[in-house]
Amino acid sequence: MARTLSDPGGGAKEQNRLLLVATKRSFTIIVYALLIALAFSMIFPYLWMLANSFKSRTDFFTNPYSVIPMPPTLSTYYDALTIGRMGVYLGNSILYAAAVLVVQLFIDSLAAYSFARVDFPGREALFLAVLATLMLPGSVTLIPTFLIAHGLGLTNTFTGVVLPGFAGAFGIFLLRQFFLNIPRELEDAARIDGSGFFGTYWRIMLPLAKPAMVTLGVFIFLNEWSSFVWPLIILSDWKKYPVTVGIALFRDVNQINWPAVFAGSTIVSFPIVILFVLAQEYIIGGISLSGLKG
Amino acid sequence: MTTLAQPSQPVQSRASRQRELWKRVRKTWPGYLFISPAGLLITVFSYIAIIFSLYISFHQYDIISEARPFEGLENYTRALSDKLVRIGFRNTFIYVIVIVPSITIISLMLAVLGNQVRRGRALFRTVFFIPTITPIVVTSMLWVWLYEPTGGINRLLQMMNVEGPNWLFNPKTALPAIMIMTIWGAVGYYMIIFLAGLAEIPEVFYEAAKVDGAGRWHTFWNITIPLLRNSLIFAFVTLTIAAFQVFTQVFIMTQGGPMNSTQTVQMVVYHYAFQRFEMGYASAISWLLFGVIFFFSALQLKLFISRELY
Repeated sequence: MARTLSDPGGGAKEQNRLLLVATKRSFTIIVYALLIALAFSMIFPYLWMLANSFKSRTDFFTNPYSVIPMPPTLSTYYDALTIGRMGVYLGNSILYAAAVLVVQLFIDSLAAYSFARVDFPGREALFLAVLATLMLPGSVTLIPTFLIAHGLGLTNTFTGVVLPGFAGAFGIFLLRQFFLNIPRELEDAARIDGSGFFGTYWRIMLPLAKPAMVTLGVFIFLNEWSSFVWPLIILSDWKKYPVTVGIALFRDVNQINWPAVFAGSTIVSFPIVILFVLAQEYIIGGISLSGLKG
Repeated sequence: MTTLAQPSQPVQSRASRQRELWKRVRKTWPGYLFISPAGLLITVFSYIAIIFSLYISFHQYDIISEARPFEGLENYTRALSDKLVRIGFRNTFIYVIVIVPSITIISLMLAVLGNQVRRGRALFRTVFFIPTITPIVVTSMLWVWLYEPTGGINRLLQMMNVEGPNWLFNPKTALPAIMIMTIWGAVGYYMIIFLAGLAEIPEVFYEAAKVDGAGRWHTFWNITIPLLRNSLIFAFVTLTIAAFQVFTQVFIMTQGGPMNSTQTVQMVVYHYAFQRFEMGYASAISWLLFGVIFFFSALQLKLFISRELY
């Protein structure tokens, strides 16, 4: 700025430059204002949810939109866990998510390694057959999957909930892509040391694929935790419901007790928030990747 | 075995080719073993499932009765004249036509704006992303509360001196209410996709545009949009496929009501399959939906790719 003042001859040119700086600055301010306003619209419903989950019923009915509960209470959480049976649902969801996470990671990575590195006849065709299932809309497979599970005697069972999630075409695709980029020399060394295909997979490839496995693992967990339609259809006993179906049921029978429903919703969202904080880079990296590859 | 192979033979005989194949199989058989768990699951829950679905769509099929007579195209013709199915398709079309461009445009705008700011970029990204990872059941319930007659949305409107409707109980506003909530919940995800696409655009292009004296708008249309093409196609196609199958938010927020104004195809499929147990008929409807989805994704890909992609 000092330079502009000491510059005597600049006249109109200088004015133009200042105008440009001013418009640039006001543009930045507008951008920030817009982003902040939108960010508030994203976060505010959650703040309300959290605040209301600590409100007594009278407090909620008199001040449903205050952000500070007066006085804060934990009885809503007690209600959610007892009347709402959220504790049972939470345990089920953890079980379902853990089972699908572990088994799918193993099955997907084993298949992905095979597709990437074992040169068996028919490999390309079989891989294409796997990829093609990504195009199938879930809407078409929902009814037959239910009928197959029913035929296998899996309705209303733990296995019925998790079995269809034990393999994923997307996971196989993602991990294969990763395995293809690992230098072959690393395996050759293992091969010379007498490792078979499985030994190479288990001791060399899996440890190297850790970042990809974590990314996929986070996606599998998020997916299973949020899954609603499948458990809703396959289960009929509330003792086996995951949190998503459970909270929906709780709201249906407890329309008036919003604070307890909010407490339940907070319980459902909590593990997700923790996971997101811990694995944000993996989640965002994974989504970015799927967009670029597509 | 190897002694029989004739390396000098100019044209490989059928027999020797087969022997070669066998040799490869014998060396690589664990490959089949490794893909077999995944292969078995995918075969059962995708390939057998889809064939089974097609099969029962030509039959009268429920899980209770033993008699499952072949009906030919009966289920399909019935679906075409079913009023509920027609309402479902109409609402789903409206939903797709509004949702897909809205989410694409808003998330693209968010990504471009987010790219402009330096301070707090990561924070914005995080905040916009939160609705995306929250289970849709939870966000739907949250919005049911926000849409109450004296709820958060209407209070906000009141501040601007607008009287808000009873969103979810008015046939005119229920579907738009669900669409607004869905847009709110999805833009963060596609913003991440576009931010990744933007990061791939070499800085040189922008510098060149600056040298040529191109304005912001000009740069956006002539550099950003064409170079984001891959991300745009991905967003558009995946959004369309997902939007056609909308279910959970409708199930939680309105159950298809009021007066069927939010009935979607997937809701109708669910209704016939799991409330009335007409599995064959419901499968036929789901195949009609599949046909529509297939047609539109193929059309989109053809339109985009014919304009010289890659």
